[in-house]
Amino acid sequence: MSARLEIDRVEAAYGGTRVLKGVSLDVAPGEFVALLGSSGCGKTTLLRCISGFVPVAGGAIRVGGRDITPMPPDKREMAMVFQSYALWPHMSVAQNIGYGLRLRKKSRAEIAARVAEMVAMLKLDGLGERNVTQLSGGQRQRVALGRALAVDPQILLLDEPLSNLDARIREDVRHEIKALQRRLGITTIHVTHDREEAMVMADRIVILDAGTIAQVGRPEEVYNRPASAFVASFMGANNAIRLDLSRSGAKLRVAPGPHNREAELPHEGAIDGKVTAHFRSEAAKLSLPGDADPQGALALEGRVVQAAYPGGFWRYAVAVGDRQFMVDDERRVEVGVNARVVLPAEALHFFPAEKA
Amino acid sequence: MGPTRGVSVLLIFPALAMALALFIYPLGYSLVGAFQDKAGVWTLGNFVRAWELYRLDTLFTVFIVGLSTFLIAVISVSIGGYLTLGNSPVAKKILDWLYRWPLFVPFIVAALCMRTFLGRNGMMNNAFVFLGLMDQEMAQSFLDWRGIVITFVWKQTPFVTLMVAGAMAGLDRSTIDAARNLGASRLRVLLEIVVPQIRRTLAVGLILSFVTMMSVLSVPIMLSGQSPSMLTVNMAWRINSVGDYGTANALGFVSYLLTGLAAWFYLREAVRDKQQGLTR
Repeated sequence: MSARLEIDRVEAAYGGTRVLKGVSLDVAPGEFVALLGSSGCGKTTLLRCISGFVPVAGGAIRVGGRDITPMPPDKREMAMVFQSYALWPHMSVAQNIGYGLRLRKKSRAEIAARVAEMVAMLKLDGLGERNVTQLSGGQRQRVALGRALAVDPQILLLDEPLSNLDARIREDVRHEIKALQRRLGITTIHVTHDREEAMVMADRIVILDAGTIAQVGRPEEVYNRPASAFVASFMGANNAIRLDLSRSGAKLRVAPGPHNREAELPHEGAIDGKVTAHFRSEAAKLSLPGDADPQGALALEGRVVQAAYPGGFWRYAVAVGDRQFMVDDERRVEVGVNARVVLPAEALHFFPAEKA
Repeated sequence: MGPTRGVSVLLIFPALAMALALFIYPLGYSLVGAFQDKAGVWTLGNFVRAWELYRLDTLFTVFIVGLSTFLIAVISVSIGGYLTLGNSPVAKKILDWLYRWPLFVPFIVAALCMRTFLGRNGMMNNAFVFLGLMDQEMAQSFLDWRGIVITFVWKQTPFVTLMVAGAMAGLDRSTIDAARNLGASRLRVLLEIVVPQIRRTLAVGLILSFVTMMSVLSVPIMLSGQSPSMLTVNMAWRINSVGDYGTANALGFVSYLLTGLAAWFYLREAVRDKQQGLTR
């Protein structure tokens, strides 16, 4: 049982502060949507508007075409998984999972059967009678998920459910939740500030910025074609440089600057004039003295000032003028060496300078 | 180690001496006195007399304090529940501001107020008559056991509410949201999610209230002159009017047993809390 969720120009405010400024989003039945953004962007507020804990100041929320905006949280037929898991410490695992069914006046036998099903599905075998305070973080998280899924909700809401887990367990649980969601085909809204988590789990990502939607799209769209400098930075392209461009057909000519020679880049599109170019550290290359001159790419003259090994490659901080850029390279380079940051056309995301 | 221990003994000595002189010694003295006659001979005669004269009053005391404790529990949970789960911010603010007032009123003043409030021609009946809810002839005095219960509840509810509301405010809010989200009404959230999580605090507040009410003399004396009366009144009577310390001590022993039972519950909960705190 999954339903379409429509968020129609929803506004919300805390006191006098507008937290959501008319957010609209259409979520298809069975779709997994991640709300991604930094702290204070309004993603949790939007989730709490959907669940009914935060009153909507304007706009409407509809589930399966039915307007639920005025309904209290207990009438909305949704289930939420909380960041702190929010398990009831005075109840056992089975009682926690079965509580929603008790509220729905199911018989003891029905509740027991459904709880057993959830326990088996979430690999909590043998823990049914255990008090929830005796469980590990990963197990608690499963119980919270079981409690939400037991009532067979139309909409599943996940409020940063993985942020309290160890990094290693988190990776596993991501895939488990995703697989479960796909199997049950349940419409899911997932709030997170973790970009990778959103990319791995969601069918679509909604990036929120200061109470408005900055971009909506599939993970690869948002990653490869960020709609704004904000989205580019948020999706990891947080190296930024100002450039002066002039277009001739399918070529962009980059004007020479204090740290770059003139370059010609193959590029389709309408961008022209003064721009801010964003790039990811992994999309840039390092060119050392003696390397062949890069062709069809922009090269910035700089000096390696810091080196770190995160695993599989080296990450360098390269000073270009008074700026520093992060660049990944497989070679080991000494700190202090002069090097060029080489940026092929496909590594650069251009945005008009005045908007950046 | 030696000198440090000497210093620490020296430091706690004043407090220890005070406790010994002002509490342990008189308590021991009256406990012993409960088992002696006027000549100092060991006897159970005091208890026999206490049983013959005051067994009804003992039951009356337990009934009044027990009923008051129960009502305090219901009202403090209701107030705390509204402060935690209520919808209207204005109502919550007003309630939060109002409920503490009786805390600052001494028992004797509370009793005095209740005399003018609960009497046959008291404010309460006059208000009912004025509002047309009752005829003047129907008016009756509440200055009996009901007056004592009303005063105890009015006076002690804020104390328990303060503890209960504090504990409720300290709960992980998402445990409440989770239940609401699954479809629980406010009342069910209060009874099934909130109260079970703060039950220890509630129990401690009620036990402390129970012990306090057991020891109040002014309220039963001022509100209810008739028999049966509370044990504190009986004790005062034995000492002041009859000069019978033996029976008064025996009654004291009985009320100490009752509060001791409550204190035992309190200590057991406190120890359990501590152990849970360590293993958590």
